[in-house]
Amino acid sequence: MDFFSAQFLFFVQTLLFASVIFMHLSKKSASVIFLYQVQSLIVACLLLGSALAESAIFPLFVAVVVCAVKVVIAPHFFRRLTRELQLKFSASTYLSGPLTLIILAALTAFTYSHFFAPLSTLNASNARALLLAAAMMLAALFLIVNRKGALSQMIGILSLENAIVAFAFLSGLEQSPALELGVLFDILMWIIIATVFASMVYRQFGSLDVTAMNSLKEE
Amino acid sequence: MLLIILLCVPFAASVLSWLVKKRTLVLESLAAGASTIELAAALSLAGSVAKSGPYSLTDSFSVDPLGAVVILILAIIGVVAAWYSAGYLRAEVEKSIIGFHRVRQYFVLLHLFIFAMFFAVATTSPTLMWIAIEATTLSTAFLISFYNNASATEAAWKYLLVNSVGLLLGFFGTLLFLSPAESAGLTDWNSLFAAAAGFDPFIAKIAFVFVFIGYGTKVGWVPMHTWRPDAYSKAPIPVVALFSGSLLSVAFLAVLRFKLIADASLGGDFSANMLIGFGLSSIVVAAFSMLGQKNYKRLLAYSSIKHAGIIALGFGFGGAAAGAALLHLIYHALAKSALFLSAGNIFLKYSSTKVENVRGVLSALPVTGVLFLAGFVAIIGLPPFGLFFTELSILAAGIQYHPAVSVIVLLALALGFIGFLRHAVAMMFGEREKRIAPGEAGVWTIVPIIILLAILAAASWYLPVSFRSLLESAVLAY
Repeated sequence: MDFFSAQFLFFVQTLLFASVIFMHLSKKSASVIFLYQVQSLIVACLLLGSALAESAIFPLFVAVVVCAVKVVIAPHFFRRLTRELQLKFSASTYLSGPLTLIILAALTAFTYSHFFAPLSTLNASNARALLLAAAMMLAALFLIVNRKGALSQMIGILSLENAIVAFAFLSGLEQSPALELGVLFDILMWIIIATVFASMVYRQFGSLDVTAMNSLKEE
Repeated sequence: MLLIILLCVPFAASVLSWLVKKRTLVLESLAAGASTIELAAALSLAGSVAKSGPYSLTDSFSVDPLGAVVILILAIIGVVAAWYSAGYLRAEVEKSIIGFHRVRQYFVLLHLFIFAMFFAVATTSPTLMWIAIEATTLSTAFLISFYNNASATEAAWKYLLVNSVGLLLGFFGTLLFLSPAESAGLTDWNSLFAAAAGFDPFIAKIAFVFVFIGYGTKVGWVPMHTWRPDAYSKAPIPVVALFSGSLLSVAFLAVLRFKLIADASLGGDFSANMLIGFGLSSIVVAAFSMLGQKNYKRLLAYSSIKHAGIIALGFGFGGAAAGAALLHLIYHALAKSALFLSAGNIFLKYSSTKVENVRGVLSALPVTGVLFLAGFVAIIGLPPFGLFFTELSILAAGIQYHPAVSVIVLLALALGFIGFLRHAVAMMFGEREKRIAPGEAGVWTIVPIIILLAILAAASWYLPVSFRSLLESAVLAY
């Protein structure tokens, strides 16, 4: 189907990848949350389009649930958290902006190297998009590692999950809808629990900056 | 029926615990009753598997010999942890450290944790297993932050973050493994194994690396171990006993299941080398960390990392060493749980986890002191306990094909022994502070430890024929 042509999928994957890159560059919590929302919306639209193309009810339901959990519920939780804790700016990064960009470029180049090339055999027609999805995974991992803010780390983990979903979609490794619902349930629970923990971290340390957490070092 | 009991009882116990409004005794009775039923079901299940082979409930739920062994470990540690919890939490309530709501939260999450572990072992679907293991992370995060102080929150946050990232990577590896075995419904271990020969070797390698890192984070191999000492030092002691004895076994089972698939695709060397590499690094790093440790709960956590390394080494060496590694997994679960529970009694008495604050345990807690020493002798691998024989068997197998690795392991074990001995002697002997009044916390905090050590001592010397055949079937493929 034309809707899912290789060129279109590569364009969509580029948008997903760009969302993680902009997360790295963004300093405001609201922007990071918005970027996650956009990223999740794109993933949900992909699943929705696939379900509509197949005229399958259960996958359609799963796509709607994905949309509800990732595009509506998760950003709502995060926004409420930033409102309650008055977090206008997300915490800083370990590496400077230019260095962060250099590492992102290196990670992307690495996924397009000879080493990762065989991954593209999973679906040769989407080879470029697949490798970009792998690059998105590495970029999301780097976001978790490089950010000092708990909120950014949480969004990094959820972006990593989005990257895996995108990779699975592009390579045709999607699970049965029942299993996808199970995974989604875990993700929803994770979002709730992580948000509660972020509040606890703020209460205990007066900040969501993870470098402020040093009570274990004293033991 | 047995699997239905194993899956429904902990879940029902969790829901019922949540409904309890006032009485702690009801929560304790529920926990003791549920865990005893689970143990009875696990014993029957293991007997059935030993006698007639895999026990299937549906296509999605089936228990093979290896699964039966792990379920048995879960049930034994589960029942002991549940009984001990009653005594331990009572003592904490008396000290006004926690109130009824905390006790209820504890039991609700404890049952959910046990349910998730049983589910992970019983399912035949790699994806369902992933969901269940992720559920163990979610159910235990609030148990680690149970005491609601800064350090507990920090430990829980690290635990949640590290394990979530690890498990997401494990999920990616699982998806890659599922690629050639696509089917309309659930993909189970058998269909995955059947399709393994057709895997692209490169994809299989990448998939196994991701799965290994993912579930290896849960096992706690170096360098994915960072959450372990923190979580172990902050969570309530019975939960730590379950972490060290049960969760480690479940995560190990996941790695072993994928090892079989990877081996069918790549040959045995790739997975064996990974197990040996990560096992060796875990043993060496843990041994050095034990030497300078100031906190006895963290000391035990590093000891668990060391033993996870030894088990990995055994499965990496393969053959007879794999059999010894499976026995090591069982013995370690029993010995380490006994040690952690003993450490819980010490904590109740001294209100400190720092080694320097704990002196004269043998005079303050005579029974616990002796039990701790017995657990210590067992865990460092001295006779007459089984860990001595399993370590010896693993090293004997390793010395033939991996002499350098075996020598390094031997030196690291000696180092770990010195580190542990130094701290244990300092804690057990020495002069007790006058403010520490002698006397045990109660029978509920003693009997479970005695039971664990009695099972360990008995199993070190005698294994029933049916259990031996179960073990042999379990390691046949490794």
